[in-house]
Amino acid sequence: KIEKPKPIKCGTFGATSLQQRYLATGDFDGNLNIWNLEAPEIPVYSVKGHKEIINSIDGVGGLGIGEGAPEIVTGSRDGTVKVWDPRQNDTPVANMEPVQGESKRDCWTVAFGNAYNQEERVVCAGYDNGDIKLFDLKTMSLRWETNIKNGVCSVEFDRKDINMNKLVATSLEGKFHVFDMRTQHPTKGFASVSEKAQKSTIWQVRHLPQNRDIFMTSGGSGSLHLWKYEYPAQRSKKDSEGSEMGVAGSVSLLQNVTLSTQPISSLDWSPDKKGLCVCGAFDQTVRVLIVTKLNKI
Amino acid sequence: MPVWLREHSWRQTLTAVYLSLPLRGARATPANIFCSEQYLKVSIPPFLFEAVLYAPIDDTNSTAKIGNGSIFFTLYKKEPAMWDSLTLANADKEKLQYLRENAVLKAQEKAKEETEAKKITKQEHKKYALEATMKLEEAERKRIEDVKEKERQKVAKELELWKNQQKDGDKYKSIQKKGALHQEIEPLKERKNEKNNKTRIPNEGTSKTRLKSAKGCHGSSSIFSQNLKEEQLPAPRAAATIKVNFTPRVFPTALRESRVAEEEEWLHKQAEARRIINSDLSELEDLKEEEKNPDWLKDKGNKMFAMGDYLGAVNAYNLAVRLNNKLPLLYLNRAACHLKLRNLHKAIEDSSKALELLTPPVPDNESARVKAHVRRGTAFCQLELYTEGLQDYEAALKIDPRNKNIEEDAEKIRHLIQGTMQGS
Repeated sequence: KIEKPKPIKCGTFGATSLQQRYLATGDFDGNLNIWNLEAPEIPVYSVKGHKEIINSIDGVGGLGIGEGAPEIVTGSRDGTVKVWDPRQNDTPVANMEPVQGESKRDCWTVAFGNAYNQEERVVCAGYDNGDIKLFDLKTMSLRWETNIKNGVCSVEFDRKDINMNKLVATSLEGKFHVFDMRTQHPTKGFASVSEKAQKSTIWQVRHLPQNRDIFMTSGGSGSLHLWKYEYPAQRSKKDSEGSEMGVAGSVSLLQNVTLSTQPISSLDWSPDKKGLCVCGAFDQTVRVLIVTKLNKI
Repeated sequence: MPVWLREHSWRQTLTAVYLSLPLRGARATPANIFCSEQYLKVSIPPFLFEAVLYAPIDDTNSTAKIGNGSIFFTLYKKEPAMWDSLTLANADKEKLQYLRENAVLKAQEKAKEETEAKKITKQEHKKYALEATMKLEEAERKRIEDVKEKERQKVAKELELWKNQQKDGDKYKSIQKKGALHQEIEPLKERKNEKNNKTRIPNEGTSKTRLKSAKGCHGSSSIFSQNLKEEQLPAPRAAATIKVNFTPRVFPTALRESRVAEEEEWLHKQAEARRIINSDLSELEDLKEEEKNPDWLKDKGNKMFAMGDYLGAVNAYNLAVRLNNKLPLLYLNRAACHLKLRNLHKAIEDSSKALELLTPPVPDNESARVKAHVRRGTAFCQLELYTEGLQDYEAALKIDPRNKNIEEDAEKIRHLIQGTMQGS
């Protein structure tokens, strides 16, 4: 058991190799630390990255998945999203911050995607005013943005290490949106389908590592919902001006279960055993679950 | 007077009586036949046949067959005995009457009992059906539970198996590791030293490299591929900043669809308030302090009204309304001024506004409402809209029935209306 002076909000193993297994954490003070769990007194890497709490963290390039440099992205209440390379101290390799004088919005969630070769990377960030922004790290520009009318609690690409395929964004008011990321229309952006799962906030979404069309959402009512996305007959079509636009498919609920009276704030799948997952809830319990019959879907 | 059917014929056995009754062309339905233990009646207006039977019969099992222009009764005797005649010979009127009534009563009771019995059987049937469905559902639920339980156990076993596999896998790898260690130390050390000069990848001695070599497939091939991979990690990105614009939002809280309506309203109200303050400020900066107080202005207006300066009073009330447009008394008094000035439409407007503001109708604002109605009524009448005026006067009377003036005025208006109606 290891205890640190500042409370920790989020963590990821995403940027470390399978051997090193360093844990990258963001805490309530805005510090990003990377810890070697076998020698946890001093962090391997540490930086005071943000002025306020780091709400969300994601890592890419590690765990034997994907290619390219290991990178960590953090999103904070100070409205900025910063990308860090553990080999470079003190300064982020990318910083997405509000324009001078603009009032900031809380960034609630971040996710990496599109890391299918060494240069390409994309960061998706969701904010409390319903904004979703997609930043391209290769061109260092804003690639797409939209607003889903409710604060965005969690975003995740179905796979980080492929050409970006699908993005699920969950929000307050029990809604989530699935975006088809293969076809970007110049004005309309990405096609999406949205679903209202329940009345309470959907805290997190996680795709099944073994099947990227199945994902689970966890809700503020203490429930977990398992969904399957079905692709449409044609994923893209031409609009009246001849530009390609995407066609969203449909989402169907496979199963749901209520585990707790308190919100389930985080959840993750095991990469090794199909259907094994763990979730943590506000009632101070960590539950390990297994979902069966996933082979039959 | 009914027509008696007397041409019946009958015969009997020890246990039954067979009675045949021709119907002279009338058509019979079961409703026309009335039978009880000792009394039989067939009534097809205007035909009538009745018989007080010699002895009681079992009326539930007896039958009547209707057909061929006659009714054929099969009556089963209660007591097997030969009857002297079909009917009781020495029956006098009273007895007949009594028997008749009795029969009717008995029939009624029987009917009641039958319905009761039916109800009870129905209830029992329902209960039975309910229990049966409940059992079925219970069985279904149990079946589902069993399936789930089986699944759970199966999965638990699989999990155990998988866990053990993992453990074994690890053991295997660690054995391998020892083997590889002896073979590969030297070339590895050289390679690692080279690399340490190039990049800053933390590399804690050779122990880590040993693990790397054992990971995945066995042997030396993996070492080389791993080394190559590490060398190919690109340098950290060139730092850059992307500037971001947010969808504007006034509130610091997160955006929720369910709250959007409330927020819009609040913003609207704020905007209204600001507008009012601004408009006042621009024009009224040279007013004295007290002149910005609506109550003071109202009093001023009242004084001017009392002195007869109606225009001045209107001005005072106007200013007061601009400062605070929610005080009904201002509109009320302004209406009175307009009446005196013969601005009848304005008077109606102001009284209406006052009445609006005086909802909900409670005893406290009674007098104000009476005044409003009276003033509006007067304005209507002076515009010769007598019906509307009367409506208002009657509303005023409803609130305050004891006011003589209003009553008299209302009467006058009624006469006026009747007068115009008769005239036209």
